Amino acid sequence: MDILNQLLGGFAVALQPMNLFWAFVGCGLGTAVGVLPGIGPALTIALLLPVTAQVNPASAFIMFAGILYGALYGGSTTSILLNTPGESGSVMTALEGNRMARRGRGAAALATAAIGSFVAGTIGTLALTFLAPAIAELAFVFGPEDYFALMILSFTSVAVVMGRSMVRGFAALFFGLALGTIGIDTQTGQTRMVFGTLELLDGIPFTVVLVSLFAIGETLYVASRSGAAPAAINPLSGGSWMTKQDWKRSWKPWLRGSVIGFPIGALPAGGTEIPTFLSYALERRLTPHPEEFGQGAIEGVAGPEAANNAAAAGILVPLLTLGLPSTATAAVLLAAFQNYGLQPGPLLFATNPDLLWGLIASLYIGNVILLILNLPLVGIWVRLLLIPRQYIYGGIVVFAMVGVWGLSTSWMDLALMCGLGLVGYVARVHDFPIAPTLIGLILGPQAEIQLRRALAVSQNDWSVLVGTPIAATLLGIAALVLIVPPLLARLRRRASAEEEPATSAGRAG
Amino acid sequence: MSSMKNGSATAGGGRRAAWWLGLAILVMGAVWLNGARSIASTTNYVGLGPSAIVLAVGLGLVLLGFLLIVQALKGQLAPPSEDEEEAPFSRPAFLMALAGVGVPLLTIRWLGFPFSAMLAFTLVTHAFGSRRTLLDLGIGALIASLAWLGFSRLGISLGPFFPLLG
Repeated sequence: MDILNQLLGGFAVALQPMNLFWAFVGCGLGTAVGVLPGIGPALTIALLLPVTAQVNPASAFIMFAGILYGALYGGSTTSILLNTPGESGSVMTALEGNRMARRGRGAAALATAAIGSFVAGTIGTLALTFLAPAIAELAFVFGPEDYFALMILSFTSVAVVMGRSMVRGFAALFFGLALGTIGIDTQTGQTRMVFGTLELLDGIPFTVVLVSLFAIGETLYVASRSGAAPAAINPLSGGSWMTKQDWKRSWKPWLRGSVIGFPIGALPAGGTEIPTFLSYALERRLTPHPEEFGQGAIEGVAGPEAANNAAAAGILVPLLTLGLPSTATAAVLLAAFQNYGLQPGPLLFATNPDLLWGLIASLYIGNVILLILNLPLVGIWVRLLLIPRQYIYGGIVVFAMVGVWGLSTSWMDLALMCGLGLVGYVARVHDFPIAPTLIGLILGPQAEIQLRRALAVSQNDWSVLVGTPIAATLLGIAALVLIVPPLLARLRRRASAEEEPATSAGRAG
Repeated sequence: MSSMKNGSATAGGGRRAAWWLGLAILVMGAVWLNGARSIASTTNYVGLGPSAIVLAVGLGLVLLGFLLIVQALKGQLAPPSEDEEEAPFSRPAFLMALAGVGVPLLTIRWLGFPFSAMLAFTLVTHAFGSRRTLLDLGIGALIASLAWLGFSRLGISLGPFFPLLG
């Protein structure tokens, strides 16, 4: 009952005309960046971070939530119509969705994606509504050593899951951790790694790192490889809408996708891609029409689209209850909270219920707005793709400059933008993941604070780090995350090496 | 991760062993280790001092740089990505885009945000092969001025419109 009351209070906040306006702005922007290549929700929110100085927190987060969800709706549109996934979470959608579009079933694919996103987004938001306060309640008993263990788990799982190889994932993570040590040590006031410059005393702004690595790195990358002809822009005609048969084949994948997406999104390194892979694989196995997979099976659109929207809601669980970001977008949202001097976590539910419940209520509203924006108006969004590429990327650089120069009109920030942009380019070329860097940068200093706090309380007794069951368990899981994947790979290699002679004959059947 | 497009393809160069990347990370680690040495740890603070984490990060970077070099020398490649054939690398386009990103460093103090952004915009469009310089300059000026005006009204200072005029 208490939750329902608070949710109602949240709706009272979210339905204020000004906040509805921001929700619309967020959903529109989100859909646009979802459609456009080269910009994602993380970058968009980062570029808008300076705005947080002027807008009240509830409105800003309502807009950001719209961007987060909207990008997923927009991403599915381009996957289906053009076979160019706008977001990594919609790669799987392109597989079947684009096939459907080529067979003249584009409208049905778009509809099942949008309605599936709506259904899953709403289910995910419901789960968030009832789960988040409970987890926040639990988190009250967390001591510094528990938080430290949680962050270690977050680091290891992000580094292991995001990269193509563990060494690269950890290299990206440590790069972020290293950047995070720059500036004044918050506990002793000592300067660290500032190389004698005044400008670095406050540390490297998160926005600068994010904008440079994503926007500048991506622009340099695409520009240097723009010799090839751009993807042919031929929005395919819609065809007929969803038939009764389509509805019948869609609703179960929507629900299954939601069930897969939400919990995985809520894990410390969940993200939105893995649930879409799982959902696709599951639908492929369960479908009564296996022959259609690869040819445009509607289940293959409905499931993954539902999964990535439910996962987006899941991502908010660790962020809001523990202050733990698990994706680049979540890291930016955390930075936005910090801009307001707020620390997401159990206390926030007690001190700022209006903000949190307004944000959660706005997710319900945002889903409705997005359904309206995306179902009938999809043709308008696709037009965005007619903007020539040079203007899109030229515009990205201008807005990156706004984001960086607008922070404090500091020349040093612009220089950092250039340097880190080159780093982002190299990372892009050599397949280093970027999310671990961002999470290392934003969580590293916090992990350090928790570690030092724990050790200060225990008078330098390191056993305190495994002193509580929670901390010991979390560190244990972190160790497993490190050890198990290489072990599995080695076992698999050995197994396949031994089986090789036997199976070459046996596998034929 | 979320805005790395198209499953972030491996570029042609990415599959070649990049030992110098490992070296760069190793050097960075060394810089951090050296930095940790120079942080005074003469505090009465109980527990870890301010240099401990810098030391740990430096050690981590050195180790990872070393591992990357070893991987590169052993010819161990990043698992190739299955999708997308890569377009060839174009040095002039890359340098032109880099110039676009870098030109504000030279101009922003003298010409202000709108003009610097206009130049950056035009250089980037030319990196993408556009040759309609006047049109691009015009569009760039329009976008940059609108951004300057719009964000100024939101209360975000982007500096004076044209500093040379004072």
